[in-house]
Formats: sequence, structure tokens, C-alpha cells
Amino acid sequence: MSARAASAACAAPAATAGWAGILAGVLALFVALPPLTVRSDALVVVLGALALAAGAAALRGGERKLGGAAILAGLLGAGLGYGAAHTATGGLEAAVSWGALGGATLRFACPLIFAALGGLVSERSGVVNIALEGMMLMGAFFAAYGADKTGSWVLGILIGMLAGAALAAVHAVFAISVRSDQIVSGTALNFVALGLTGYMYVDVYGADGTPNDLPQVPEVHLPTSSLGFAGNSIDDQNLLVWVSLVMVVAVWVFVFRTRAGLRMRSVGENPRAAETVGISVQRTRYLAVIASGALAALGGAFLSIGSVHSFTQNMTAGKGFIALAALIFGRWRPFGLLAATLLFGFSSALAQRLPQLTPGAENVATLLQALPYVLTLVAVAGVIGRSIPPKADGVPYKREG
Amino acid sequence: MTPPALQLSAITKRFGAVAANDGVDFELRRGEIHALLGENGAGKSTLMNIVYGMLTPDAGEIRVGGEPVTIGSPRQAMKLGIGMVFQHFMLVDVMTVAENVVLGAEPTKGALLDSRAAVARVRELAGRHGLSVDPDAVVEDITVGQQQRVEILRALDRGADILVLDEPTAVLTAQETAELMTVLRGLRDKGTSIVFISHKLSEVRAIADRVTVLRRGRTVGTVEVAGPNPPDEAELARLMVGRDVLLRVEKAACRPAAPLLDVRDLEADDDRGLRAVDGVSFDVRGGEIVAIAGVDGNGQRELVEAVCDLRAPVAGKVTVGGKDVTGRGARHARDCGLGHIAEDRQRSGLVLDFTLSENLALRDVDRRTRFGLLSPRRMLARATDLLAEFDVRGGGPQAAARSLSGGNQQKVVIAREIAAGPRVLVAAQPTRGLDVGAIEFVHRRLVAERDAGRAILLLSLELDEVRNLADRILVIFEGRIVGELPPTATEEQLGLLMLGGGGATSARASAA
Amino acid sequence: MTAPTPSDHRGPAATRLLRHLSVGGAVAPLITTIVAFFVGGLVVLATGKDPLTTYKAIFDGTGLNWLLPWSGDRALAATNLQQTLINTGPLILCGLAVAYAFRAGLFNIGAQGQYTMGTIAAVYAGSSWAGLPGWLHVVLAMAVAALAGAAWAGIAGALRASTGANEVITTIMLNYTALWIGVYLFGLGGPLQANDQPDVPVSNDIVGGAKLPVFWGDKDLQGLHVGIFVAVLAAGIFWVVLNRSRLGYEARAVGFSPPAARSAGIGVGRTYVVTMAICGLFAGLAGSLDILGWQFHLATNDISASQVGFLGIAVALLGRNTAIGTCFAALLFGALSQGTSVRNLDPAVFQPELAQNLTTVIQGLVVLLVSADVLLASVWRRRRARAGGGGAAAAPPTPTTLGSVSP
Ligand SMILES: Nc1ncnc2c1ncn2[C@@H]1O[C@H](COP(=O)(O)OP(=O)(O)O)[C@@H](O)[C@H]1O
Ligand SMILES: [Mg+2]
Repeated sequence: MSARAASAACAAPAATAGWAGILAGVLALFVALPPLTVRSDALVVVLGALALAAGAAALRGGERKLGGAAILAGLLGAGLGYGAAHTATGGLEAAVSWGALGGATLRFACPLIFAALGGLVSERSGVVNIALEGMMLMGAFFAAYGADKTGSWVLGILIGMLAGAALAAVHAVFAISVRSDQIVSGTALNFVALGLTGYMYVDVYGADGTPNDLPQVPEVHLPTSSLGFAGNSIDDQNLLVWVSLVMVVAVWVFVFRTRAGLRMRSVGENPRAAETVGISVQRTRYLAVIASGALAALGGAFLSIGSVHSFTQNMTAGKGFIALAALIFGRWRPFGLLAATLLFGFSSALAQRLPQLTPGAENVATLLQALPYVLTLVAVAGVIGRSIPPKADGVPYKREG
Repeated sequence: MTPPALQLSAITKRFGAVAANDGVDFELRRGEIHALLGENGAGKSTLMNIVYGMLTPDAGEIRVGGEPVTIGSPRQAMKLGIGMVFQHFMLVDVMTVAENVVLGAEPTKGALLDSRAAVARVRELAGRHGLSVDPDAVVEDITVGQQQRVEILRALDRGADILVLDEPTAVLTAQETAELMTVLRGLRDKGTSIVFISHKLSEVRAIADRVTVLRRGRTVGTVEVAGPNPPDEAELARLMVGRDVLLRVEKAACRPAAPLLDVRDLEADDDRGLRAVDGVSFDVRGGEIVAIAGVDGNGQRELVEAVCDLRAPVAGKVTVGGKDVTGRGARHARDCGLGHIAEDRQRSGLVLDFTLSENLALRDVDRRTRFGLLSPRRMLARATDLLAEFDVRGGGPQAAARSLSGGNQQKVVIAREIAAGPRVLVAAQPTRGLDVGAIEFVHRRLVAERDAGRAILLLSLELDEVRNLADRILVIFEGRIVGELPPTATEEQLGLLMLGGGGATSARASAA
Repeated sequence: MTAPTPSDHRGPAATRLLRHLSVGGAVAPLITTIVAFFVGGLVVLATGKDPLTTYKAIFDGTGLNWLLPWSGDRALAATNLQQTLINTGPLILCGLAVAYAFRAGLFNIGAQGQYTMGTIAAVYAGSSWAGLPGWLHVVLAMAVAALAGAAWAGIAGALRASTGANEVITTIMLNYTALWIGVYLFGLGGPLQANDQPDVPVSNDIVGGAKLPVFWGDKDLQGLHVGIFVAVLAAGIFWVVLNRSRLGYEARAVGFSPPAARSAGIGVGRTYVVTMAICGLFAGLAGSLDILGWQFHLATNDISASQVGFLGIAVALLGRNTAIGTCFAALLFGALSQGTSVRNLDPAVFQPELAQNLTTVIQGLVVLLVSADVLLASVWRRRRARAGGGGAAAAPPTPTTLGSVSP
């Protein structure tokens, strides 16, 4: 690795700039963290700016990937470093207790993983799904409602998934059969889900909120706390967190290693070609969109009966769109989106933990919440290589005569 | 006697008011190559899409191997042993060759895809039929000719014994065409029955055993080509277009003036970043029509786009009336006096959802304003005049361009470009898909504009049109001008140059 | 500028939608609305309440009954109507922000973010520069807000023009980025947080001189400010720019057919940037109306609870991207949210919390049905084409429709 880096550095000044930029970006964060704990904005900002400049130079020199990575490192390093530099040193050490941070990262990532996987299945079949948010919300409410009425979290999850699938089925009808604009239909369903879950919530639970004895998805206790921070991160995780990780692998196998997955991808890339070899475009898309709703709803179920054990109105609060961002940032690939959700989850975990420990400078950490969106902007703009969606994504398909 | 492999009787298919097929009869014998010949829009693709289950006929009967069948979907067609290679390939670009071939009939091992078996299957099939492709290559990385092989392989993989190829040579180089012919003959000799769609006479004569000619959705007749006294090209052409020869345009001798368009060492890349125009130099004088002839896909499109500044050239210089227009944007080129009749009038020539009056203002909307605002009244008045002058029928200035027929749409484009008073007019395939009357109108108009002193650059794939209109013919091959010929040149001379053969050097000297 | 526009060959989604939305007139939106209310009524019925009395109560709360002179309490109706119109102004502007993009073939999901940037800029401008003369201060604050929205939207336009990045994605991302920027600025310890309330995540109040004058109703009880005129004027400007200016003409050409526009010498990339910026102007202005008209300050909660920009999508779609349609659709949605507000709806008749959610459902259904009447419209068009008969009416398939699936 380093040998390759070195040879690249010798080969081209642009590459050198790129690597230097990455290094500067990493340093920007590093100096602000224990053990160095530099308390000066200037150093962090200067390092970050250096990284950006080097990245820009690398980009101009034609090193697209390296340059993009340097810019990314600069943004991340400066942002995180700035936040860290504004944090009391003692608090910082506690906040950066890596085990807790790792655990929180997984918890934040879990619902995003489910929803982004849902998005992946739908968009790989050629149907844009910006109703992930609404489908999550359906899952969140109906899982809580189902668990409450049946007294079983398993049934709660199933009911939640059914509700998400039902909303997705509406999206499917409009996007596939009616050939509505998929963005419009998705936007509409986000409204519908928000209103419908809110309505039912008020109607059923009123001012009291969901009951305190709501059945919950159990935690899985692992005897790993002695294994350093990695062990600490995973020793007390919700069952659904594990399911989400398994699901990443399962979706990957399905999409890239099975017959149905191959067909689904062909439908998303070139539906007419798929039809000429006898694959039903409509059927494939219907199944994919409905599955997508069930998956996203699973993410919502985690929010209500896996994580906070209650439902509140609009509790997804934009998570569906972060999932969409993760899907794009992860380039429509299961492991890509896993990496993206972990990154986004990490930034949320930091944002959540930093202010607790640093009274007076809480709000700097809020900026971390914007990170997923900014990174996705950078990604679609093609600074770090282009994110290219499936070719027929969002294009309604019509059989001829 | 064995029944024919495929028999179509009285097939009718309408799209709205257009009868794309109107009682078509067609018979494909076992083990023959049967060409389906017809002009653009004659209904060839429609007929074969019906055979492949992509379209449902309104009336008519299909028999496969003597049995009447209804073919409701491609899946059924495949079951009946019918395979099709489409005019626009039906491939998934981001997948490998092997994945594309087995798509729809994938080998599996347990629940998973067996990609090794897929590769082996493709390799074996390719070997058996002499169609070499790399099964592991990704489709978007291979050449068009190879992509076509993938399509053929897929049909064969489904066990097709009836193979339909829709204009398979339109996108191929001469070399690839020759290879394809060999492959097809090989398949025929092994018993496959082949339908070969084309509108190129020479090709059809070279490969087909029999030819069925379609004209405007009807069967004109079927002739033996391989038989003892094969028809000559003129005879086929007459069948195809329904009249003897294209009407010759009356035109006076050309009186060229000073060069108005000058193209020097122009280089440009195509959309994939490959060099498509490779050092082209020529000029066009006022009062002459210079035609660029060539087989489709030899850089004509990129050349036009580079000249009109719709595509940034890699190198070289274009001047219009002495003003450098290279890389300054299409608007600048137009302001310098360049008119452009776009190749695809529906895509680039017109905004189909605009009214005619809005379309006619596209080039010079800033000159139709009052107090900085558009004046619909002026736009309408001018449109009314132009529509009358250019004899556009089918709607007034308020009609949407979409609602006009192709010929009238083209008249609108021509009206707009000529009304702007350009010094140089670039006409790219100006008569593509038009009926005879409209073709004649376009031709006359181009000659009239030539006589009015404009410099006209004509790009056309129709040799007749080129020889009819041009005062000089430049032949383009693989992005270079390989020769210049007078309009009196024979089809053979042109054909030879267009395929990259002979005579290039001496001709180029005179072109410069 | 030679802008790579990768989706041109299949026609951008917004273009296809646009083509459909331009037929059918006012009938389809009316039917759409009626059906949406009908389905909403079913929801009410399903939960054991009477839809008719509910809708009647909501209607009375909108103040629209003021227009019926024989109806009951005139003073109350007037107050309610003032509130409805206060809601309507920003909705018109956000609707225009979405509609203008549509006409250029762009899908602006980002009115919300542009609106947020507008509110931030307005509250900043309104709470600083205290010495300015009142009218100048108001105008300046509105201008700054509009520019902030324009700049924010311009990012999406520039990305589309320079890299082909899909504006649907970029505007969604910009929405949430704007939200968090706002939360950062006015959050506890944030740079723009109120000086005199260190424990409340809110901005400073704007100064008196920066407030929009009230012309109907009680100045101290949130009477109707002149913002509604600003919005209606903006709708007029929208119409002129779109239909009478070269800018709008070019935007429409690009919206219908980028290749044709390009080949006619129109800078497609430039048009994308300018178009988005104009959209941002409208949405940013909407933000300033709310701040300078009645909110007077901005709390982090306001930012995250606001839906005006998202509703702009519904407004534009229901209004079919026309100036006049947008105004009426905005009035409908403005009235709905007023009629279901906690203050207005009698809990004995129908719980306002329920009603607000009902409103959201109805809004969603409206958008959903608008997307479906795209189908109705195309059926209608086809029917008409067939009835017209003859070669001319039955136009051959266009490259955009045929090319939409082939590579
Ligand atoms: N899907 C379609 N919708 C409407 N008209 C069509 C469609 N497909 C083909 N046509 C029309 O039918 C006629 C025959 O077209 P086609 O079969 O493609 O001709 P060819 O393949 O011989 O060039 C043309 O006039 C064409 O415009
Ligand atoms: Mg054809």
C-alpha cells in the first residue's frame, strides 16, 4: 500500500498533492483528539484548508479519485476536528470512549441500513423510491401498534412490515401500472404516511402516547466487553442491529448471485432487453417495490420498538432521506451503502455525544448532522468518482401495442 | 414437402391512423436466408416485432412449422424457436457477455447463479458457430460488432431455428459486415432459417436466397435472388420505392464564388471519447452544394456537430464567412451566419411541444422582442408569412409542432433556418423518412438556396440524393475525407471509396 | 458552455411530467381535489366521526365564509380569512418556485431548503441594521432573503449544469443541509442565537421597522400583512417572465427539449443555473414573508417543523405549473391548514390534532392523484388524437417517448 503510494507520488505531482491532502485532512482531526488535544481552531482549519487546496490541485492534475478523497478528508477532518477542538478536554476523552461510540454508531446506522437496502432493491429494478421516509414511518407506527395490540414484538414487526409493504404497493401501482412520475408519487406517499400515522396515533393513543409496556425487540448480550472497543461496541446490541447486518449480506447475495437478482438488475438497466428474453418487467418491479417497503418498514420498526420503545409523530424525521443519501453515496451497492450508513451513523453518534459532554458548545456538533447530506452532494457532483444510478431508474416502462 | 418455417398471412397492425402493416404476407422456408427489403418506415420492424411477440397484430395469421400460433410475448416466441436480433441491441450494458447471453435462462447451482457454467455454455456456443467473443467482457466495453454477436448467441442459446435480424449491418463496419455474412451462411447451412431485414440493395443481393419487398406496409412481391436469373439492383429498387428512379432535380450549372465555410484539420471525439473526426479539411464556396458521402457511423454526425459548434472539437478550426467560430458555442456560430438543418428533426430540430410560431422564433427570439419582452403578435405574423412561403400544411402558427407530419415538420425547420438568412447552410440527412413529395420540395429548396449564393454542406446516406444534388462529393471514411468525386461519379466509384478503398491520395490533393 | 446532460436522451422525468400536465385545463385539478377530500372523508368515517360536520367545521375555520355575506360571525370570519391569506402568500411563492423549475424540465424538491435560507437571511437582516428607514429595511431584508434562496438553489442548478448531477437528489440534500445550518445558527450557543435569551434556541427579534405593514385586521393580533400582495405580484411576474421574456422562452424550450434548445444555440447549462436561481428567489422571498410578516423571529423548532416548501410541490402540481393555478392551489392549502389549526377547530366537533393530520393526508392524496391524472390526461390526449383522425393528428412517436426505454 505505502509502496504503491510512494511510487504514485514519484510518478505524478498531482498524485503527491492528493496523498498530501488526505494526510492533512486526517491530521486535522488527529491533532484535536486525545492524546494531542490541540485546542486551537487555527491549526485545524489550516490543515483542513491545506487538504482542500491539495485536493483541488490533484483534481486539476487529473487525479480524480485521489483529489476527491483529499477534499473529503479535508472536509471531514476540519469539521470533526473543529468540533473536537471546541470540546472540553475531559469531555472529549469520555465522548471518544470508542466502545460507546461504536455502539451508538451501529444503533444509528441500523434503521438507515434497512431503509437503504429497501431503496436499493427498488431502484435496482428501476423504480425510484423517495417514499422510503414514509415507508419507515408506516413501519414505525404499525410495529408499535401491532406489538401493543398483539402483545408480541414479533407480530409487531410483521404488522409493521406489512404496513410498509402496503404503502409500497400503492407506490408500485402508481409508478408501474399508472406510470405516474415516480418522484411525485413518492413525495405524495410521504405526506400520506405522515398524515395517516399521525392521525391513527392521535386517534388511538391521544395525549397519553404509546403505553410504557410496549413489547420490545430484545437486546442480544454478548460476552465481548473484554475485547477492547470493538467488543464494547457490540456486546449489548439490539437483535435488529444484527439482523440489519445479516440483511446486507443477504441482499448482496440476492442481487448479485441469484437468478432473480440478475433479472431484477436487467430490468433496472434495460427493461426492454429484459422483456425480449421473456422477463416480466411489471412483475419484477412490483415485487421489488413491495419488498423495498417491507425492508424500509423494518428500519422504522427498529426506531419504535427496537430503540426508543415508543412511537411519536414524524419520528423518522428525515431518516428516510439519509437512507436515500446512503444508497447514492454507496453507489447502489449493499456494502457501499453499509459503509455509508456507518459513516453517517458515526457522525450522528458524535453529534449526539459531543454536546452532552461539552456544555456551552453543544451546537457545533449539530453541524455533523448535516454531514450525510453534504457528502452526498459531493458524491453526486462526481468529485469522488460519479455515482451512477441504474440506467432505467425512474423511467416508467410501457410495453408497445 | 415440409411446411415453411414461418408463414404470415394478411398481417395488419395499426398505430393510430398509421397502418404500419396492411395485410402483409410473408413466407420463410426452412434453411433459407430471406431478405425483407423496404424503405425506412415500410413496416419491416413492425412485422418482425409481431413475429417475436413484442407487438400484437390487429389481424392476420401466423404459422410456425405449419401450425397456427398466437405469439403473445417474447417468451412464447422463444419457445417456438424464434430468435431476434434487434435494430437497437437489447443488451444490458453493465453486465458481462455471458450474463447477457444466459439472461432469462440462467444456469443455477442450488439457489445461486452458476456463472462458471454460464461462461462455459457461452464459450461452447461461440466456438460452435464461429462467433468469437470474450464471455467475461462487460458489454459496454466491446465493439458494436461484438455486441451483435452477443445478441445472435443469445438467440442461438435459446435454441432458435428461426433467426430474425433487424438491419444488422446498419451499425457495422465493412469488415464486420463481411464476417456477419459468413456467420449467417454458416448458420443457414446448419439448417437455421434466417430473416434478414435491410434497405441496402447490394447487401441483399449478396446474402439472400429470396427477397420479399415491403412498401408502405404492404407486400409488393417476393423474388428469387439465388435463382438462375436474379433481379438486378434497379429492379429491386423499383419494387422498393415503387417508381423508376428518383426524380432528377433541375439545376443550373454551379457558379461557385468565394469560400464561405472553411474547415481546417478538424478533429473531434464521439460520445465515448473515441476519435470520430480525424483531421478533416475542406471548404464550401458560395453557390455550391458540397456533399459528404459515407457509410453511416464514419464520423458524419460528429463532423456536423463540430462544424455547428454543438460538439467541442479537439483540434482544428472552422470559419464561417471568414469569422472563426470554433468552440465559441452554437449561438455564436449561428450569429456568424451558419444555418443547420438538424439530422433528427424531432429531437434536435424542433421543440415538438412548442407552437409553430414559437419554433420559428427559436433562432432569433431576441429579434422578436418589444421593450425586452416577446411580442406574440409579431411572432405570429412572421410565422404566418413563413408557413405560407414554405407551404407548410397541417396547422397554423398556433398548432403544436408535434401535430404535424414529418414532411411538414421538416419544412418548418427549413423555413426557420433559411429565413435567418445564413451564409452557410448545413443540411444533415434533410430528407430522411420523408415522402416523395416532401423530398422533392427539400431538394428544390436546397438548390434554390445554392443559386441564391449560399454555401451548402449536405450530409446524406442516400447516394442518389448525393449524386443528384451535389456539385462536389467528398467521401468520408473512418473520420477522414478519403476522396473527392464529381457528381457524375458512378455508384461503384463512390462505393469503393466509401468502403475505404483506392484512389484516396490523388483525390485528397484536389480536395484541399 | 457544453453541459453534459446524461438524461437528455430519454427526456428528463420532469419533462415528461410537464408535457402531460399541460393538457386538461382546470377540470382535472378540481376532480383531483374532490376525490382527495372524498378519500379523506372515508378516513374520518372509518374512525367513527362524521365527515360532513368535520368538513363544515374546517370550512368555517378557514374564514372563507367571510365571502358569503349572510354567514354568521363576520368578525371571526374576517380574522380567520386573514390567517388563511397569511398562509397563502408563502405557499404561492413556494409553488412558483417549484413550478418555474418544472417549466424548464427541472424538478425542484428544494423549495423547503431555499425557503429556510430565506428565513435565515430575513431574520438576520431584519434584526440587524436597526437604523434604516422602515420601508428600505423591509425591502432590503426581502431582497437579501430572495438572494439567499437563489444562491442556495443555484448550487443545484450549477451542479446539474456542470456535472449533470440530478437536481432531485441535490435539492433534497440541500433541504436538510439548510435545516441543520439553521439549527446550528440559532441553537444554544449558536452564532445567531438570541442575545437576551441564552436558554432558548431562537433568533433575535426583528426590529419594528423591518416588519411588513398590516393592512387588514389588528396590527397586534396578527392581522393580514401586505405579503399576500407581494406573492400575487410575484405570480404576475412569473407569468411575464415565463411567457413574455427571452429568459422564460429559453427555459421552456429547454424544458421541452434540451437537444433542440441546444441546437438552436440556447445555453442549456446556463439556463439550468438561471432557472434554479429564479426558483430560489421565489422560495427565499416566501421565507421573508413569514419572518417579516408575522413570525418576527426564528426558532430551531420553526425550522424543523416547517413544511411550506414541501407543500409548494403540491401547490405547483395541483396548479399545473401556471401562475393562476398556483395561486388557487395555494389558497386551498392555506385555508386547509388554517381551518384545522388548534385555535380554530372546536375539539367537540373534531380534534384539531386529528384534523391537522387529516390535512396532511389530503395533501398527499392530492399530489398522488395529480400524478395519476397524468394518466388521465394522456388517455384523453390519445382519444382526442384518434378522434381528430387523419395523418396529421396521429403524430408518429416522438424520440422522447420511444427512446425512453431503449438505450
Ligand atoms: N410504436 C409505434 N407507435 C406508432 N407508430 C409506429 C410505432 N412503431 C412504428 N410506427 C410507425 O409504423 C411505420 C413502420 O415503421 P417500422 O416498422 O419501424 O418501419 P421500418 O422498420 O421498415 O423502417 C412507420 O410509419 C412508423 O412511424
Ligand atoms: Mg426498422
